[in-house]
Amino acid sequence: MQSFQRFDRSTTLMVVLLVVSFLLATFDVRSDGTGVGTTMRDGAQTLFSPLQDVASAITRPVVGFIDALSDIASLRSENERLRRENEGLQSQLDRVASLEADFAHLKEITGLEDPGGLPTVVARIASSGSSSFDHVRYIDKGSDDGISLGDAVVDEKGLVGRIDLVLDNRARVRLILDPNVEVAVVDQSTSQAGIVRGDNENDLLLRMFDVDEPAREGSVVVTAGSRFPPGITVGVITQTAVDDAGFGLVTGVAPSVSFSRLDYVKVIVQYSPLDAASVEEEQQQQEDATDGEQPADGSTTDGSDGSTTTEPTG
Amino acid sequence: MIGRNVVISLVLVVVAVVAQTAVFGDGRINPFGVSPAVVVVVVLACARYLDPEPSILLGFTGGMLLDLLGGAPLGLWAMAYTVVVYVAFRFRERTDDGPFMLAIGVVGLTLLANALFVVVGTLFGERFFTNADVIKNMVVPAFYNLFIAAVAFPLVTRLIGDRRRVGWSA
Repeated sequence: MQSFQRFDRSTTLMVVLLVVSFLLATFDVRSDGTGVGTTMRDGAQTLFSPLQDVASAITRPVVGFIDALSDIASLRSENERLRRENEGLQSQLDRVASLEADFAHLKEITGLEDPGGLPTVVARIASSGSSSFDHVRYIDKGSDDGISLGDAVVDEKGLVGRIDLVLDNRARVRLILDPNVEVAVVDQSTSQAGIVRGDNENDLLLRMFDVDEPAREGSVVVTAGSRFPPGITVGVITQTAVDDAGFGLVTGVAPSVSFSRLDYVKVIVQYSPLDAASVEEEQQQQEDATDGEQPADGSTTDGSDGSTTTEPTG
Repeated sequence: MIGRNVVISLVLVVVAVVAQTAVFGDGRINPFGVSPAVVVVVVLACARYLDPEPSILLGFTGGMLLDLLGGAPLGLWAMAYTVVVYVAFRFRERTDDGPFMLAIGVVGLTLLANALFVVVGTLFGERFFTNADVIKNMVVPAFYNLFIAAVAFPLVTRLIGDRRRVGWSA
């Protein structure tokens, strides 16, 4: 009888805790980055960040060593992939020179800001997610340093992700590997627009609609300029794909950033999607001024079209 | 004595959470892209020496801390670990104590925790099943945890072990 009562008590406790967890999850999903969930996360980060910093500092050399060891097995295939990628990139080099010239000319015309010219905050990865299911990193800078929700995070190789939670001295970066993150991109070689989304651990999925040319292996895709500043490298197309049936095409993109080796990152602050919209608007006005007969409905397919509406990120 | 054990267990869970997020998380020590689930091992190790209610609360706390420091909606890991500790208690009253059963328990319960997390997370809109590695992320940590358990179980036994009550069959 006693053991039955004990079992009964523990069952009741479990049910109560499950209900509490369920309610918390419901509120958290619906709160969308605000409310009690954020307050609790803020408190937990405040308590745990000193401990995490100490643990990271102590174990960083060991982590690097073990990480290198575990990577040995994958080095051969990585080498092969890089060789193929290199061949593709070599063929792109000639085209890049002319594209750079075009870009410089366009910058002169539109006054478009280069991403490198935007103000940034350098931050270090302080901790990662709590399991292999998480595609997040916590950085050691927060709202006190000028970081705000939605800011783009980059490293020297390209786009890392975006800020989806901001605390006083910490911020959470949701990586572009996360299936909930979508990025409006442009294929640099064809100027065709598309959307990139997290696909699995190491790859991204590129979808392009209403395309005239194939997406070629080795082509570099960059941000189109809406939620993220334009021109940030996202990755390289891994397989040539053609729009056979007229519904668009789907292919893979290898991210330019090595997410397992992230250490220092830059957060692009003070950038607003409205900046991109205003740039587009100015471009449109200039086009209208130079060619009064062109329609101003934004129905072009030059890669900037629709880019401000394509990032329903989670 | 019971209060002391609960406090030590809480400290151990906090240490495990710090290790999980700062040392074993994604992008740190995660061989083949998968990290072990340290917290669930420590919770199970402590649960061997605690009463059911403190153990269930310990599981809930450990899960909630992971939720607070991770990227998924709050409450998912808390839910999973609460159920796992409860299941552990249901089984430990019916099974023998010993390395083999402990190993099966650690693997099985880690799998259960990950599966619950994925299923409940999917119900809450997380796109776990669009990840081609979802099965790998569920299964591999369970086997990594065997190695973690080989260290954690003796350590916890040394810290809070009570000779009168040892193992699943206590």
